[in-house]
Amino acid sequence: MESIELATPTRLQVFRALFKADLRIQWRNRRASLMTLLVPIIILVSWSGIVAMLGGPSVMSSCITIGLIAVGLMGYANSTARAREKGIFQRLRVTPAGTFEIMASRIAVQLLQMLVMAVVLFIAAYFIDHITLSVGGYVLGTFASMLCGAVFLALGLALVGLISNAETVNSIGRLVYIALVVVGAIGELGVLGSMAKNIVLWSPYGSVKVLLLASMQPSAWDMTATFALLVSAAYCIVFAAIGIRWFKWSAE
Amino acid sequence: MEPNAPILDVQDIDIFYGPQHAVDQVSFSISRGEIFGLLGPNGAGKTSTLSAIEGLLTPDSGTVRIAGHDIRENPAHAKANMGVQLQSTSFHADLTVREIIRLYAGLYGVPTPPGMVEGLLKEIQLEDARGKRYGQLSGGQQQRVSLVIATIHDPELLLLDEPTTGLDPQSRRQLWDRIERIRKSGRAVLLTTHSMEEAEAVCDRIAIIDHGKIIATDTPEGLIATHAQDPRVKAVSRGPRVTLEDVFIGLTGSELRG
Repeated sequence: MESIELATPTRLQVFRALFKADLRIQWRNRRASLMTLLVPIIILVSWSGIVAMLGGPSVMSSCITIGLIAVGLMGYANSTARAREKGIFQRLRVTPAGTFEIMASRIAVQLLQMLVMAVVLFIAAYFIDHITLSVGGYVLGTFASMLCGAVFLALGLALVGLISNAETVNSIGRLVYIALVVVGAIGELGVLGSMAKNIVLWSPYGSVKVLLLASMQPSAWDMTATFALLVSAAYCIVFAAIGIRWFKWSAE
Repeated sequence: MEPNAPILDVQDIDIFYGPQHAVDQVSFSISRGEIFGLLGPNGAGKTSTLSAIEGLLTPDSGTVRIAGHDIRENPAHAKANMGVQLQSTSFHADLTVREIIRLYAGLYGVPTPPGMVEGLLKEIQLEDARGKRYGQLSGGQQQRVSLVIATIHDPELLLLDEPTTGLDPQSRRQLWDRIERIRKSGRAVLLTTHSMEEAEAVCDRIAIIDHGKIIATDTPEGLIATHAQDPRVKAVSRGPRVTLEDVFIGLTGSELRG
């Protein structure tokens, strides 16, 4: 039997339609997006007194890392789990939209949010703590924020891949967020001992923070930063592989 | 594609969930201008069969061709020829009706010139709701939007999964009028329903599926005539005239499922 020649939409047309819709949804939920900025802003305000001691880029890297974790684990993971539970993915999958376009559009919107968050934090850091970076530091820091964001988006995807219930994804996401942020922030100071400090250094929190810190001070890039880049890339690949391997398009 | 070739051609599909044989060698085809009903009790294999046709599930064996395109080998072309109304409404609750229509038009590559969306909304008497978010619509209004989206690209095949569930009589009547118009335009419709009266009234042919197998396929009148004397059907018949529901219960059994 011969096939009819049809005008099937191009992948770009499909991606554009999905991206516009996902962007709109993100905008409608801007209050939730603003919440991901809350903790980093609180840190900027409350750490004002110790910026001189820690160094501006160090404070900035902590703030952006915490913001990225919030977007990946609470924003992306939650919205993906909810959309799956409501059957939104299944509805999209019966159209010519491919699974790649459906996922890529959501991830692109999250990366855009991370970019905006990094820029807002750079501006807030300037006004609150008078933190300034070199032009190279701003450019590389912004680029690194998106790269590092991919680590936590992949972690969010792994979470949604391993857990099918949206409420459980929400609870576990918050727990992992708190664990990464609290243990990371306390552990890196050495309060929990040198072993904990080392573990934190090479955890997703630590490696991303080191990478961001080095990106904001390009002239101070060293071997530790290179290792942090490799470790972050490895985390991203492993988490994404877990997420893709076990991801289910339907919660049923 | 030849003019008389079926729009939907399902051949020998098998679906297993672990050791359970959920769909067992199911075959049927639907031609242009035909409304085909797939009826079965809960857990009979209807949803699995529909999922295989929709491309949501890959059968363990067998083929599904839509307008000549194999759903596995050429999913984008097959899906471009198919409109789907899923059982549960599943659109982004945060998008407005107009935005949802534009999104799905984009997914099918359908241009939306000024006034096009408004025209569609007027047709389903929802022009006042165009700015409303989908989550704010009533069940009947959501169902109407869902059918508009299923037909936005003028597909060769329309799949309707229990389309009248939860609708009031007015909405149900309006829906059937629209489906009738779709049939008259030469499109094929595959629907599932638990309402035997509806199936008897609107379907040209019906397949009854049970325990993963199609146990009977015919016109509603043909099914009744063939099975009217079946002792299982006579045993459950409650009136002087055997109905499609009697045939259905007689062939699939009276025990509750799922």
